[in-house]
Amino acid sequence: MTWIDLANLLVNGLMEGLVVALPALAMTLVMGVNRFPQAATGDFMTLGAYAAVGCQVLLAMPLWAAALAGAVATAAVSALSYQLIFRKLAGRPMVASMLAAIGLGFLLRSLIAFFAGHDQRTFDMPLVRAWNWGGLRVLPTDLVIAGIALACLLAVFVLLYRTSFGRQLRAVADSADLARASGIRARGLMLALWLLVGAIAAIGGVLLGMKAVVMPEMGWEFLIPAFAAMVLGGIGSPVGAVLGALLLCVAQELSVPLFGPSYKLVLSFAVLALVLLLRPAGIMGRIQLVR
Amino acid sequence: MQRRNFVKLAAGAAAVQGFPAIGFAQQGDAFRIGALTPITGAGSPYGPGMQQAIRLAVDEINAAGGAGGRKLELFTEDSQTKPDAAVLAAKKLIEVNKVQAVLGTWASGVSLAVLPLTEAAGIIEMNVSGAPTISTLDTKDLVWRFQATNDRFGAAFAEICAKRGFKRPATMAFNNASGLGNVEGFTRVWTQRGGKVAAHVTYEPNRPSYRSELQKILAAKPDVIVMGSYLPDTTIILREWFQSGAENKWIIPGWAANPDLVKALGAEVCEGIISVDTVSNEKSASFAHFDAAYTKATGKPASTNVYAAMAYDMVVSLGLAMELAGPGASVAQVNAKLRDVANPPGTAVFTFAEGKALLAKKGKVNYEGASGKLDFDKYGDVTPDFGVYVIEKGQLVRRDVVSI
Repeated sequence: MTWIDLANLLVNGLMEGLVVALPALAMTLVMGVNRFPQAATGDFMTLGAYAAVGCQVLLAMPLWAAALAGAVATAAVSALSYQLIFRKLAGRPMVASMLAAIGLGFLLRSLIAFFAGHDQRTFDMPLVRAWNWGGLRVLPTDLVIAGIALACLLAVFVLLYRTSFGRQLRAVADSADLARASGIRARGLMLALWLLVGAIAAIGGVLLGMKAVVMPEMGWEFLIPAFAAMVLGGIGSPVGAVLGALLLCVAQELSVPLFGPSYKLVLSFAVLALVLLLRPAGIMGRIQLVR
Repeated sequence: MQRRNFVKLAAGAAAVQGFPAIGFAQQGDAFRIGALTPITGAGSPYGPGMQQAIRLAVDEINAAGGAGGRKLELFTEDSQTKPDAAVLAAKKLIEVNKVQAVLGTWASGVSLAVLPLTEAAGIIEMNVSGAPTISTLDTKDLVWRFQATNDRFGAAFAEICAKRGFKRPATMAFNNASGLGNVEGFTRVWTQRGGKVAAHVTYEPNRPSYRSELQKILAAKPDVIVMGSYLPDTTIILREWFQSGAENKWIIPGWAANPDLVKALGAEVCEGIISVDTVSNEKSASFAHFDAAYTKATGKPASTNVYAAMAYDMVVSLGLAMELAGPGASVAQVNAKLRDVANPPGTAVFTFAEGKALLAKKGKVNYEGASGKLDFDKYGDVTPDFGVYVIEKGQLVRRDVVSI
């Protein structure tokens, strides 16, 4: 075990973390504003990936255009699901919305499996040999994936912290009643939010599909890491979700030489437990949102 | 919930429950078998053909006048290659259809989930799964396996490794009974022959990347990596391996290194991969007989689906055992005769009709199957031959057949 090996593991962890960060961010936004765990986030990822694969295979689009089309389609489904399901459940206890989200996830997954089958799909992209800097190996594909993820995160943060939409959203997240009293219209804002989280999840799905393979269960399997990242970062905190994802994935990869890859998940949850013991609200969380 | 809604829902649920019962009638003296094959899910390339093969054999036996004075009656279900779905389907077959044998479970996870049910019901279970634990979990000797165990796959890998002159093998295993079974079988035989395994990694399913695992393996500089894996994880691992620029060879089980893998990764990445799968008993008269019927029914030669021949053999051997056990035999009595009709000594027979004719003359029968010579050991497992395929320019080309 040398420093180069550790650096390689660190790079692997950061790459994975950036992919996990997108669904974690989508979940934490919904958690912060609508106050329920959006358990269909993973299946929105799957939907985005399948839509993109479909565009690539059926319409022969280039990958970037297919990814955009997938994001648009998923954003539409996401907004529609808010309009038809989650808006109606807004006044009910959190469990109602969460169960509805789990059900929606099941529905999406089954529909995808029904129409596209269970066979794995892959994106059509060139395979390029890794760049080797004195033993530090970086895959060009990974750099592209990381670049897209970073660009998405940046765009979301600009939207949240530099625009009127973001200000209104944060106002609603802080106190829905106060926001309404100050004349913020929740309805349009919510639709915009759900369009946004749908698009983020879809891009996350496409990136995951580029790294791994596209299958009907891919997003569902990815939900737990994203959920863990959200909790670790502090529920409802966008920056926290990204930090949480990076921290969890880096910890997982760095644990490989110590415990072997079978115990990756155990370690990442040990980190989660430890952080929550020291800071019950998560890295960036505020205590009142946890309640 | 309002009371009216509840009444509506309850009425709806009751109606749905009622449907399967309508028009259902038990046939008194038929031997009922349930085909539980993977029509959907990861096993879907094979399941429909297996079901077709089972139906062909049932029709053949019924056309020959039945077995042991009884006709066979077939019920089919889809295991979806998922343990939970398979358990529901098996429950339905056992409790509603009252089947006396469940045939054709494919994935190890599915077979392991269905075993407790068939054992509790005291009925026969026939599968094509690889997990070594299936042998030992079967305490009543009711379970029959028509595919090589993962342990035997591992032994075949070691044989191939030695034949091809590899010196520094490393192993990677998907963390389940099947993946670990392959690799442990390999390691056992390889170390018995005095070889050493350079490195080993057990990896988790559903990871977005396996770079850290590969890094650990490649650090040992192996000349070949032996896998116990499935298609999705193999796709990810090989893609990352190719991009990292390593030069070693691969030995991968046939269910992971198949044309779908080539489709996902392209010919360049897959060039030279050694894919190992069991081969049917291709030179036998029973295979020729089955191949003709299967090709006629499906339009595809039987060599496209090794599991179809295994499923066919399940019904034929079961039919011969029923014939030997005689009219009105119980499931346990039929079960006890399976080795008698499939194992030597005895006159080799290649079809059900031949076997039935010989049994009528009080002869000793040894059914030589379409899938293999079909000799069950004390666990009810068989040892088929293994085909060694090399991927050349995107095509799987058979280069060798190995017996262990």
